[in-house]
Amino acid sequence: MRKFRFLLYKDYLLLKRDVAGMLLMFLMPAILVVLMALLQDSSYRSLTESSVPLLLVNRDQGELGEAIDKQIEASHIFQIDRKVNEAIPTLEELEQEVASGHYTLGIYIPENTTESIRKNVARYVLAAFSGTMEKPSPDMVNFVIFIDPTTKVSFYTALMSTLKERTQKIEFEYVLNEISRQVNEFSPIPVSTEGFSTEQVHIDIRDARLEGRDLNPNPVQHNVPSWTLFAIFFIVISLSGSIIRERQDGSFSRMMTMPCSYTEYLLSKAVVFTMVSLIQFVLMLLIGVYLMPLFGMESLNLGTSPAALILLALSAAVAAIGYGIAIGNIANTIHQSIFGAISVVIMAAIGGAWIPTAVMTESLRNLSRISPIYWGLSGFMDVFMLNAGVMAVLKECGVMLLFGLVCFAVAVTFNYRRRMDV
Amino acid sequence: MDNQFAIETRDLKKTYKGKPHPTLDGFSLRIPYGSLFGLLAPNGAGKTTAINIICGLRHYDSGDIFIDGHDVSDGMQHVKPLLGLVPQDIALFPSLTAYENLKIFGGLYGLGKKLLEERIDQLLELFDLSASRNSYINRFSGGMKRRVNVIAGMLHVPKILILDEPTVGVDAQSRRLILEKLTDINKAGTTILFISHYLEEAEQLCNRVAFMDNGAIVCEGNPAELIAGKSECNCLESLYLLLTGKKMRDSQ
Repeated sequence: MRKFRFLLYKDYLLLKRDVAGMLLMFLMPAILVVLMALLQDSSYRSLTESSVPLLLVNRDQGELGEAIDKQIEASHIFQIDRKVNEAIPTLEELEQEVASGHYTLGIYIPENTTESIRKNVARYVLAAFSGTMEKPSPDMVNFVIFIDPTTKVSFYTALMSTLKERTQKIEFEYVLNEISRQVNEFSPIPVSTEGFSTEQVHIDIRDARLEGRDLNPNPVQHNVPSWTLFAIFFIVISLSGSIIRERQDGSFSRMMTMPCSYTEYLLSKAVVFTMVSLIQFVLMLLIGVYLMPLFGMESLNLGTSPAALILLALSAAVAAIGYGIAIGNIANTIHQSIFGAISVVIMAAIGGAWIPTAVMTESLRNLSRISPIYWGLSGFMDVFMLNAGVMAVLKECGVMLLFGLVCFAVAVTFNYRRRMDV
Repeated sequence: MDNQFAIETRDLKKTYKGKPHPTLDGFSLRIPYGSLFGLLAPNGAGKTTAINIICGLRHYDSGDIFIDGHDVSDGMQHVKPLLGLVPQDIALFPSLTAYENLKIFGGLYGLGKKLLEERIDQLLELFDLSASRNSYINRFSGGMKRRVNVIAGMLHVPKILILDEPTVGVDAQSRRLILEKLTDINKAGTTILFISHYLEEAEQLCNRVAFMDNGAIVCEGNPAELIAGKSECNCLESLYLLLTGKKMRDSQ
């Protein structure tokens, strides 16, 4: 045990003096988590808050134009202007304003829109009640919408969908009112469509969770576990580097002639780097809970099971350390060990650290399961979002532990065969 | 039967994977207790492989090795504390100080805290490094690194000290100091296996030498007696060239 303490002392000192490694393991993930959460948060807000600049020209003097105006305003998606230089723009001026980039969207509601719709509906209703087979010819009502050509297709589609929904709702209400008016002209009993709901089917969207807490995923809850796992796996660079350096400078061989075993040698590194992983983990959680709110983001919700979080962090550490030891033993030089860093980036990408696996194609989703980061992320999300406990994350922990142990076994076998030349 | 040899190898054979020829081919060596034994060989003769096998760093195909009477095929646990190795490379941690390096290596040999501190102080003083005790190894000169490298192998006062070219690349002052201290340590009872390319150094230092070529010992004895046995040789170098030839022997 006394000899093991000296191995720990050695690995601790070597780590402490590795300034670049320390920055890579602690500072880089801390910066990344804040930066990525901020970037995603601003994108998230641009879609959900009143920040899309819209120039709305309502030349209709009737109820429909007014209703559409109110509906768009009530959606809280847009920052609406109705005039430019104190004047209502023409169609050409509206196009010019959007083309010059002052507005993302321009909507033009033409004159007499309400009147035209009313006449159209009246014709249809009259035709329907008179029993005629001839379809009436409606007056065409053309809304013109200008879109900034640099707007992303997905964003444009979402906006169009929202606008269409709003106008259809108003149209539907209009049709109901007109039917009611026409029917009342013939019927001795007054008919009213007031109180008719345009939303007969209500879609109730809920978060699936174990207990009834009101949780919604946000950039903080996605980014903190993602970059925490990324940081934990980035110890591969320092760990494999230290193994290769000790082998190259001969200190490893010297230690192997001393009364200490290869198992003790690896165990010492595993203990020191487990401590590093746990410190990284706590640091990232603290950033999520305390630092993120200072940047105007939501605080990280830690769920209800600290034990599950610790178990996940330890399992991720075992997986990362096993992988680092394998890279350190298989790579002959520091340059070769760069593969370790690149492979961690790939594992993070396919594991859903950057883009959630939910938006990936099915084949990529299946592929993501080979990444231990996927399992770690899945476990952390279960704890943060679903208040999962220890039992619920055992599978994720098991996969990560298995990954680490397989890597460890590969490393030991490879080292023994190469070092001893058997 | 009383064991007379600190190190004894019998007919060691070792062929590396993928190599057509054996690196060690019947390597038999007997190093008596208390001797300062020089192992001299051209490049690629197999001496580093022999040292690695003796220290338990490599497997061997066949043969026997006894260290202080212990058969190494039974395991190295009883052998490791007896050995001190000074490798050819500067096998130190460059980002640590001389003191930290020595504390770690001494600790791994199982020395107690007080004894370890005493030994570090004593050896740093002996090798004229006390003033640099807390300096980082990566700021040391080549000679200073070599001296710390030697100290790290003898902190636990090993029964057998193996030095693989301990004076390579150092200035005359550092070399003289290292050789002087090795003589003192040998006189104090430590058996020393000294590997060097400097034949003059070996002739001056060693009381026994062995010449190795093509993975086997070709000649062994007291340097003066060996030179006297060959009338055409007047020094160890001429005997060495006579036995191993003048053809270049770069590692293949």
